[in-house]
Amino acid sequence: MMGKPIYITGTGIVSAIGNDKQHTLQSLLRSESGIAPIRYLNTEHNEFPVGEVKLSNSEMRAILGIDEQKPLTRTSLLGAIAIKQAIKEALLDDRQLNSAGLISGTTVGGMDTTELYYHDIISDNSKNSYINIHDCGATTELSADMVGRFAFVTTLSTACSSAANAIIAAADMIRSGEADIVIAGGAECLTKYHLNGFNTLMILDKEPCRPFDANRAGLNLGEGAAYVVLESAESVNRRSITPLAILKGYANACDAYHQTASSACGDGAYLAMKNALSDGETRVSDIDYINAHGTGTPNNDESETAAMKRLFGDNMPEVSSTKSSTGHTTSASGAIETVICVLAINNNFTPVNVNWKNRMENGIIPVQDIKPIKPIKNVLCNSFAFGGNDSSLLISKYN
Amino acid sequence: MKEVYIVSAEQISIQQPLVDDWMSTPVSYGTSYIRSLDPSFKDFITPIEGRRMGKILKRAMATSITALKHAGIEKPDAIITGTGLGCIENTEKFLGSMCNDGENLLAPTSFMQSTHNTISSLIAIHTHNNGYNATYSHRGISFESALYDAWTQMQLDKITSALVGSHDEVTPTVYSLAEKIGVNGKICGEASVSMVLSTSDRCRQSAMCRLAGIKIMYRPSHQQISDALKKVLSDAGKRMTDIDAVVLGVNGNADNDIHYHNNRDIFENIPLIQYKHLFGDCFSASALGVYVAATCINKEVIPEHLFINNRDKKYIRPKSIIIFNQSDGKNYSIILLESLCGE
Repeated sequence: MMGKPIYITGTGIVSAIGNDKQHTLQSLLRSESGIAPIRYLNTEHNEFPVGEVKLSNSEMRAILGIDEQKPLTRTSLLGAIAIKQAIKEALLDDRQLNSAGLISGTTVGGMDTTELYYHDIISDNSKNSYINIHDCGATTELSADMVGRFAFVTTLSTACSSAANAIIAAADMIRSGEADIVIAGGAECLTKYHLNGFNTLMILDKEPCRPFDANRAGLNLGEGAAYVVLESAESVNRRSITPLAILKGYANACDAYHQTASSACGDGAYLAMKNALSDGETRVSDIDYINAHGTGTPNNDESETAAMKRLFGDNMPEVSSTKSSTGHTTSASGAIETVICVLAINNNFTPVNVNWKNRMENGIIPVQDIKPIKPIKNVLCNSFAFGGNDSSLLISKYN
Repeated sequence: MKEVYIVSAEQISIQQPLVDDWMSTPVSYGTSYIRSLDPSFKDFITPIEGRRMGKILKRAMATSITALKHAGIEKPDAIITGTGLGCIENTEKFLGSMCNDGENLLAPTSFMQSTHNTISSLIAIHTHNNGYNATYSHRGISFESALYDAWTQMQLDKITSALVGSHDEVTPTVYSLAEKIGVNGKICGEASVSMVLSTSDRCRQSAMCRLAGIKIMYRPSHQQISDALKKVLSDAGKRMTDIDAVVLGVNGNADNDIHYHNNRDIFENIPLIQYKHLFGDCFSASALGVYVAATCINKEVIPEHLFINNRDKKYIRPKSIIIFNQSDGKNYSIILLESLCGE
């Protein structure tokens, strides 16, 4: 059964490759990477390159017009910037916003301030105002309140697929008629906590990451935020707005294999992609591009390749991971890559999988040329996570 | 509107675990911080599985496995979990080592099981379930967010069954931080609740009640809450006079309770009941509120000790109960449960 299509009428994005949509597009068209030595995060592990947003917290406060003294987290600032961009592009007025929902994905939430003020929070009362903004939901509320008044706000937290699942939950709300407009996406800043966590799992590369390369050695963490304005057909007509793209189908499946590893045959990934296609009644041969999860870890890329081969066989579309440009923006990645897919569709290019050199055994050759083989009309955007929380979005050209 | 049934509901909390002894013989406490009364976990997970799991994971496994068993459903179409703070015990361990001992002596174990989605995915791994799997983490409406997701997908016919739960552990550190910002008057308890929802006729017979409506709001005005309640009732074909009781999340803390008092007139003269005086409060407490209401409907009685006002203490056989919850005066939810008896 095909679900109703959902329209994307606004996008907002901030990542290592640009603080808005235009700069992101320029970076992608030039195949530039935002991966660089650590500049903002205070950690002993300076050996790891990362994809940082090139803005300090003070600079973000200035952009948003927020007082220096107000207790905020970096994730909430990134989120507010991207939500504002999306709302502006969708031309939503206050009244429309007041009846819209906001669903955001995050996992680190306010961990950046918790780890920064850890000793103060534990031992004295000087940082008590940071206690209640540690959790994921508080981060979403901080972002929401910097932007405006929403009718409904909630937070998805499925680690690296959080934003994709926020988009799915939002789309279901619209399909069921519970809402006309929902802003969905995700935000995540770099923290010492998850940089160290990923380091203990030995999946961080000290070199710029090389997804789908035979010599890949792990991922580079990134940070950022992105949101899309999702809208029903009725609302699009009523507002006489031209959609940027269509969210034609989507699916969430669980690998149910291991807490932090993917199954060899990529069961969860396969099901997510397959079900997204059937949800959008789109054939395998109609997919022109896959924005892969492609973290650059040996395990993910092998498992994802197996899943793509199972589903697409001889019809393998062009594939790339843009994480070699943005870094792995974890909970934000599903939305950052959704916006990248919208840009690819509307500007008819294939984002390059930078740093790739050597083909994996039985591997794919990811996109090396920005010029697409065929016009980009239907794309799959993959987001997989710890716990096997795998989701895939089918994004299509509008008209 | 698709009929959605709550087929089973199980809890581990500061009341006796996995039973409804709280109805007749509630455990009472004189302190403001109480850990859950845990069952014997070896009935649910092997010692090898259990060794790596924190309390929250063991409790989630126990309530989930029991709820699925009682519902007679092995593989629900979806597993959806709420949690306000996630696996905070493991988070504290990793964070504490990092902040106290530096960044070079860390072990991966506590990090691996510290993400919020650990709960939902462990249940999926344990039950070999490749279906929809999601985790919501939004303060005091984490459970409602999960329930709303299941409800929406059922209305869309995407799923016919779901395991919906909400889990929060309150470690000594979490409690000491809560104390710093004020716990005056309330009991801090823990909550692990799992429910099985289904739309199938087969489950209707044995179901506890029907989930007849759910609405979540952010920073609503008094008028918007009132309008939302009317909408939930009219969508379910009910009127205010049909409602037998309203479950409130009052907890004895003035900063919390004021938000209920401010909206009390919306519920006119309907008897008010509470549950946090027995179960305590935490981000997942609203799941206990729904569990309590579902149990009352299923057992056809509201225990006297739940009524907030003495004048309401009389026997009623509840057929319709509203659960009205709010968190920090920002997030509000309205849930309507209906009896399946005598229809």
